[in-house]
Amino acid sequence: MNLKLSHIDKSYGDSKTKRVIFKDMSATLVAGKISVIIGKSGVGKSSLLNLISGIDLPDKGTIHIGDRCITDFDDSERTIFRRRRIGFIYQFFNLIPVLSVFENITLVAELDNTPKDVFLPRAMALLETVGLADRKNDFPDTLSGGEQQRVAIVRSLANDPDIILADEPTGNLDSETGLAVLEMITDLVKIHNKTLIMVSHSPEAMGFADHVYAVKNQSLVPQTSGLDVLK
Amino acid sequence: MTSVLFKICFRLSLRHPLRTALMTLGIAIGVAGVIAIDISKTSITKSFELSTSALTSRSTHQIVGSDFTIPQHIFTQLRTQLGIKASAPVITRHVNTDQLGNNTFTLMGIDPFSESHFRSFETIKGDRSRPLDLSSDRPGVLISRRNARQFNVKLNRPIYLRFGNKEIKTIVAGFIDTGDVNSRNPADGVILTDIATAQELLQLGDHITRIDLLLHKDDIDKVRQILPKGVFLVETNKQNQVVRGLSQSFETSLTAFSMLALFMGIFLIYNTVSFSVARRRHINGTLKALGASGRQIFLMVILEVFLFSLVGSILGALLGIGLGKGAVNAVCTTVSDMYFVLTVSQTHISSMTILKGVLAGITASFLASIFPALKASRAIPITLMQRSASERAVQNKIPIFMVTGLLLISCAFMIFKIVALPPAYDFIGVFILFLGSSFLAPGFVLLISWASSGLVQKYGKVLFKMAARNIVRSLSRTSVLIASLMVMVSVFIGIEIMTKSFRASIETWVDGHIGGDINVSSTNELDRRLDFDLLEQIQKLPQVTELSAYNIHRIYSVVAGEVHIFSYIKDLSEKQWTWTVQGPDKMETFLEQGWILVSEIFARKHAFNPENEDTVTLETMQGPVQFKVAGVFRDFFMGGGRAIVSRNVMKKYWGIDEITSMQIFLNSRDEIEPTIHRIKEMIPGTKMIKVVSGQSIKQKILSVFDKTFAITIALQILTAIVAFTGILNSVMALLVERKKELGILRACGAKSDQVGRMMIMECGINGFLSGVLALPLGVFLAWVLIDIINQRSFGWSYDMVLSMGILLQALLLSVGAAGIAGIIPAFQAGRTNISRALHME
Repeated sequence: MNLKLSHIDKSYGDSKTKRVIFKDMSATLVAGKISVIIGKSGVGKSSLLNLISGIDLPDKGTIHIGDRCITDFDDSERTIFRRRRIGFIYQFFNLIPVLSVFENITLVAELDNTPKDVFLPRAMALLETVGLADRKNDFPDTLSGGEQQRVAIVRSLANDPDIILADEPTGNLDSETGLAVLEMITDLVKIHNKTLIMVSHSPEAMGFADHVYAVKNQSLVPQTSGLDVLK
Repeated sequence: MTSVLFKICFRLSLRHPLRTALMTLGIAIGVAGVIAIDISKTSITKSFELSTSALTSRSTHQIVGSDFTIPQHIFTQLRTQLGIKASAPVITRHVNTDQLGNNTFTLMGIDPFSESHFRSFETIKGDRSRPLDLSSDRPGVLISRRNARQFNVKLNRPIYLRFGNKEIKTIVAGFIDTGDVNSRNPADGVILTDIATAQELLQLGDHITRIDLLLHKDDIDKVRQILPKGVFLVETNKQNQVVRGLSQSFETSLTAFSMLALFMGIFLIYNTVSFSVARRRHINGTLKALGASGRQIFLMVILEVFLFSLVGSILGALLGIGLGKGAVNAVCTTVSDMYFVLTVSQTHISSMTILKGVLAGITASFLASIFPALKASRAIPITLMQRSASERAVQNKIPIFMVTGLLLISCAFMIFKIVALPPAYDFIGVFILFLGSSFLAPGFVLLISWASSGLVQKYGKVLFKMAARNIVRSLSRTSVLIASLMVMVSVFIGIEIMTKSFRASIETWVDGHIGGDINVSSTNELDRRLDFDLLEQIQKLPQVTELSAYNIHRIYSVVAGEVHIFSYIKDLSEKQWTWTVQGPDKMETFLEQGWILVSEIFARKHAFNPENEDTVTLETMQGPVQFKVAGVFRDFFMGGGRAIVSRNVMKKYWGIDEITSMQIFLNSRDEIEPTIHRIKEMIPGTKMIKVVSGQSIKQKILSVFDKTFAITIALQILTAIVAFTGILNSVMALLVERKKELGILRACGAKSDQVGRMMIMECGINGFLSGVLALPLGVFLAWVLIDIINQRSFGWSYDMVLSMGILLQALLLSVGAAGIAGIIPAFQAGRTNISRALHME
């Protein structure tokens, strides 16, 4: 399902300290593709992901995911939508430290009261795909950074969402591990036919992208060469 | 400390006003509890002094009678035969009057010409105050000027004085000058009159209550020689001590409660302050990383805590004064009902009380902060900035905590069993026990968590798993919370068990003591005798199955004050024996042989030790007589205690052969009211005889004892408030540290109410763990209160009644208080700003 942002305004702060992030921003991100978002630090890339996922609401404008207008939802509806339709991968993994690897992966399904016979096999299969089946009962603080990010990737896919949002997924990893993670994310996304929207500074990420967009001048601008924006 | 560090503290406090307010409130409540109970205690002491100082005098000795009256010719003999001019006759009797607010006063009859050596009443005639002048155109009484103004009583107006069921009319003949009308004076509890007027009003004939004396050593024996049997010379100081001892028991128990409130306050303050300091751990680490010295960090922490504790303690002092004032009336009423009539009650707020409370608040805050402050000043920055480092440090120290806890608990046991401290100071042992248990808390939490992990894993849903595991993960925080809540719930349990056990024992005693369906007694203060004809008539009623008749005679004991002597025609009361020389069924035989039976309080006050085969001495009409004791029974009558003698002994030694009360047993409860009616018909209208159901007397007695629980109920309410505040403070602090995790949960798709439920579950689990740990501690505290405090303070014993209901109630309180305290944090958790929380690092 396509993602359509229409006339989005978003700013932070009060009247004295107001910072405009987006001004009348409109864009359509194609379903089933890998879109990479680039831009300078502080320009609003993470804010864009927050808006898409319903974590945050725009001051003006609408966001359609498929035929659903998530800006019309209340907090509860947005949460449920996010739970079922969107998976999130963070720079700092953000695993729940008191849950084991497997419990982290099944967290969203359990929050959604999905029957165990539906989500357990799927979660186990995904875990095997990333090579961590033998660590399923371990806790996050015993895993390396790369392993934690692999768990986070699986978590994002466990509830079979339509869209994966990744916010600097390799930002906290060394280049070799980061590349491996990128490959893993993009492979899984393609295999499961998901839409991936990834914020990244990494040039390697650009190589996996079907589309590149830059956040600049308070808008989202399609790019032909991502490196130009970073200059 | 540099100003920038102070600025950081100040702004952080302002930025989080709710947390700042909670911390201050936590300290304030801790201090308020201590001060309120201390005010009650010191007010009792002061009220007692005011109530008794008008009655006592500058005398060195007093002549008193074993039946509380002496013939006035003894006074004449002292003056004429022995030439002892420093002597004054006195009559005293407690009376009530509606004209003065239905309060209790001491009607005091004195001879103004004899008073100059002993008392200094000033009376007001016209506008002038002058030395004691009882002359008047019409005989009457004098009341204090303060009371006259307060109740708008004018000169020469009638005033009705009640004692027992008798009411006498007299007039207000003048006023006693009590100085400043705004402050309480001992004379405010006195209604003064001439001794002849008092004899007439009280129909004492030629008897008086006592004679006050200023005696030289050489005159003591001379005076003793002229005294008839049943009248004796006592030292005033010793008499005051006997009377004073009555309220000291109550004060001792108040001291005990005051110390309990102090401990709870200390734990609450420790909980509050340690969380507050811990919250700043990350900032302190950052400051150290940036170059702040250890000393600067230490001073910053300590100074901030000191300022908070000062503000909190001052607020607590104000709150405590308000609570204390409210409690004083209830407490004075209890003392008056149970122990000694306080004719003057005064709220006394001493500077020592305020200082004690404020110092407790500041000291507890300081002690709570010193360890975290030292840790912050000495630690390398990264360990302060990483939460995991501090948690690991706590978990590594658990073996040391366990050993420390066990050592402290052993110390506490030694204090209770081996070291003989004054009763209220047994509470030092209680405090050490609390402290030891707190050190054990983290270890027990880990143990329970480990033991239940399988069940949690298997059956728990994800939010419950998170809630349960978060407790162990944040052990450095949750163990402080659990330990504090454990102490508070154990205080609740201890007091609940004590009061329930006490009440159960009182009920058993009342049922045994007032076993009859109907009770008949005289209300004539001057002549309490019942006719034997009435006894025979009642015995003939067909519905009467048994009848017990007895005489109660009050005697004066030099060592114990007022003692009640009972002699039965047929003793049908059921007693709980604490000791008998042979089997309880032999007691009647021993009584017939001239032995006596005594109550526990009597035995204690007369230092009776059955192991030494002691005897006790009673003052009789034939002088002091030693009696062998056949048994000691449980009894809750205060004063000097009770003794039971045979009818022959009563007649022989006190010249009394009458009966003053009857207990009637019927074959059916349905017959009670008709039988009461029938008996009343038998009684001539002129006789002042009361015929009531046994049940109504029991209810009346129980209601008097129920009033004694007012202070314990107040303490339990304080416990609940303290527990609630402590948990709220702690959970709010934990919420701040969990922001990111809560943001992740919300981002993953947890709804606000799901996050909130998790917080409340976590609070509930904390409450449950605290409650479970509090159960053994609370039972032990109950044992201390019952066996040590009550036994040593009051001299009575009662069995501990331990019911599952009380324990369950305490557990529910713990879980409930924790759950309710979790509501606000749960609401806040649900409203976590997700994007901000996610980007925290």
